[in-house]
Amino acid sequence: MRGMIRVNRLQKWYRVHQRQPGLGAALRSLFHRKYDEVKAVDEVSFSIEAGERVGFLGPNGAGKTTTLKVLSGLLHPTGGEVSVAGFKPQDRVRGFLQQITLVMGQKQQLLWDLPPAETFLLNRAIYDIPKAQYAETLSELTALLDLGPLLNKPTRQLSLGERMKCELAVALLHRPKVLFLDEPTIGLDVSMQVTVRDFVRAYNQRFGATVLLTSHYMEDVAALCPRVMVIDKGHLIYDGGLPELVQRVRPDKRLILRLSKPVDRKDLEALGGTLVDHRDAEAVVQVSQALLQAAVSRALASLPLRDLSVEDPPLEEVMRDLFAQGRAA
Amino acid sequence: MKRLFAIIRAQLRAAFALALQYRLDFVVDGLLAILWIGVTLVPVLVVFGTRPEVSGWTFPEMLLVLGWFIALKGFLEGAISPSLTNVIEHIRKGTLDFVLLKPADAQLLVSLGKIEPARVIDLFGAIAVFVYAFRRIGHHPSMLQVLVALSLLLAALLVLYSIAILVVSIAFFAVRVDNLLYLFQSIFDIARWPTSIFRGGLAIVFTYVLPLALMTTYPALALLGRLSLQTALGAVASTLIFAAFSRTVWRLSIAKYTSASS
Amino acid sequence: MKAYPQLLRTGFAAMVAYRAEMLIWMFATNMPLVMLALWSAVARGGPVGPYTQTGFAAYYLGSLLVRLMTGSWVVWELTMEIRQGTLALRLLRPIHPLLAYSAENLAAVPLRGIIAIPVVSILLYGMRAELGHDTLSWILLAPAMFGAWLLTFLVMSLIGTLGLWFESAGSLFDAWLGISAILSGYLIPLDLFPSAVRDIALVLPFRFLLSFPVELVLGKAIGLHAVKLLAVQWTYVGAALIATHFVWRSGLKRYAAYGG
Repeated sequence: MRGMIRVNRLQKWYRVHQRQPGLGAALRSLFHRKYDEVKAVDEVSFSIEAGERVGFLGPNGAGKTTTLKVLSGLLHPTGGEVSVAGFKPQDRVRGFLQQITLVMGQKQQLLWDLPPAETFLLNRAIYDIPKAQYAETLSELTALLDLGPLLNKPTRQLSLGERMKCELAVALLHRPKVLFLDEPTIGLDVSMQVTVRDFVRAYNQRFGATVLLTSHYMEDVAALCPRVMVIDKGHLIYDGGLPELVQRVRPDKRLILRLSKPVDRKDLEALGGTLVDHRDAEAVVQVSQALLQAAVSRALASLPLRDLSVEDPPLEEVMRDLFAQGRAA
Repeated sequence: MKRLFAIIRAQLRAAFALALQYRLDFVVDGLLAILWIGVTLVPVLVVFGTRPEVSGWTFPEMLLVLGWFIALKGFLEGAISPSLTNVIEHIRKGTLDFVLLKPADAQLLVSLGKIEPARVIDLFGAIAVFVYAFRRIGHHPSMLQVLVALSLLLAALLVLYSIAILVVSIAFFAVRVDNLLYLFQSIFDIARWPTSIFRGGLAIVFTYVLPLALMTTYPALALLGRLSLQTALGAVASTLIFAAFSRTVWRLSIAKYTSASS
Repeated sequence: MKAYPQLLRTGFAAMVAYRAEMLIWMFATNMPLVMLALWSAVARGGPVGPYTQTGFAAYYLGSLLVRLMTGSWVVWELTMEIRQGTLALRLLRPIHPLLAYSAENLAAVPLRGIIAIPVVSILLYGMRAELGHDTLSWILLAPAMFGAWLLTFLVMSLIGTLGLWFESAGSLFDAWLGISAILSGYLIPLDLFPSAVRDIALVLPFRFLLSFPVELVLGKAIGLHAVKLLAVQWTYVGAALIATHFVWRSGLKRYAAYGG
């Protein structure tokens, strides 16, 4: 068996029943229903090895969550083959379910009115975790996530970030080999996002677990996933490293210039790129890779600079371009 | 098997911890349970103030039917309804997925989600009613009769539970089923009376179509030694078949849910 | 207040959309019929007090009709909106939330009436010997039904508003339901109770939620006596209105103070 996760020509279609308003239409729909067919996932294929961390990017409704749900057995594929850890997810065999976990950013499995510790005990019984292993896993997770005082407070009294940490812990109590993370950092403040990312990386490195992550926050993917898959409208339009993706879509660089004196627009445009932002103390110029060297030299020579740096354009823009291209194609 | 018990124990532990979180509610629910036992008894007291016998049932005998009704109501409103309403909430919020991801039977996991321990008062109330009724009758039931009655009680619980599972199975597709649970409870209310008070057609409906007779009339007849073993066995057998049917519908619903939902 | 007709129209449209739920609720309100079966069995040997088998049938059909036409659900809606915090949204609108709820609940009445009134009327016509013959009682029936609806609604609003103070307002309403099942004549006609209980029940507000309109239908309350009873009913309605108003006002102050 090659690959922890193997997906071959996955398809997932839905029939959505068309609802028209009005009494007449409601009566008619009792006899004859009109359906729309929605292709959530259309011929997607990929393979992920054990221990990899892969990011899933795509606009809303692209099919990311649907793919995760198929991989975790919550949805049956309409076509194609799926194999995770050697199992067919849709069979939902016990051996399969013991090895995976799904964390959903918007939803929680922690019991609301009880302390997280109670949900932990419940999961321990359900996953049949031996005492010694449970104690060990719990203490490691508590240390990694700094859970100490949180475990015995009712979940509803915890802040969103604290809840997410406990949610991650309860999802990993049974030491799954495959982690599906669906928007785990949504709604969290920046420092908590960093905490979550660091934790996932640490868990992956410590236990060799395979991680498949979807997110709207590019920083999550950039920080965590050496490999990125991009889905748009149910199609896989890119599968590879993130830097290469940026190169392919927007091979420009951004020149950030900190100015000691205001500079005329003409002088900035003379550097050979497009002026993105122009203020008294700062200017941003977008320059193609080829012209970068020349632009930097010219800037150093001719402009009153306090500081100069070269950056990639923000990932958000890269993604926007990518999807715009996809739409045009 | 050991694992099954461990899971049930853990579920019960969580459900009790949850219920005892709200201590005031616990006391209030207890008082309410006592009030409703009183409300349940008033009609019988008034009826038998006017007649010594109704449709072949004397006052203490009718009390037996009522006692079983109170006991079943305690189970229904104390365990079955809360747990299954909980599942419907999960379906609405989309968190049922977490149940489906666990390596254990989904029906088992959802059946003990929520419990109201205060309803144990209903069981005490039922026992008090039985004791009083048998004092009035003058003799007490034999061991065998009690055993038969208890088995019928278990069968009745299984029927109620199976109906609730059916309602939840519908909830996967038509989420607004709160009123169905309410309808179910209102039909169950009919079981407070022995089926013989209903004339002809209705009596048949309440015995064979809606198994209300099984729930309270049969156990009462068993305690009085008036239930044939045949009828008792027939009732238990049909309960088991119904439970199997309900389980099948549940599994089909889960299968359809996982193939059709988003 | 000018918006009220529109609120009624919207409420009616919502009811049509929820017609399946409404039908299920109507079928679930079968207690009077079950009690009828019981009393019919009892009365097989002979009348119970003033009621023959047909007499019981007339009473419980009347009961059923009154219950179907005067039922509300505002207490559940109110306690849920308070718990979920969505009450705050209602408070931002230029219309009093209770007024808005009243329109929603009132709008359900015609739809239920379309189904219930014809059926019950036909059945009652078959028992017209049991019904009252006093014209005045029949004229008073409409205001009595409206009074019963309004009293039900106000008590529900009052108890629901108490949800601004404590979470167990729902349990308080459950207790009200239990007591009311006995003292309003829902389970048992009030004149079958022992005289001590009956005399108390006749003056308490519960009677005016259900028993009073049924008494008018059965001709048990006639002439000047009926008018006096109507006055008592509407006095209770007035008291409930004033109580609800004050409880709501102080409840809101508390709600605002604690951030809801």
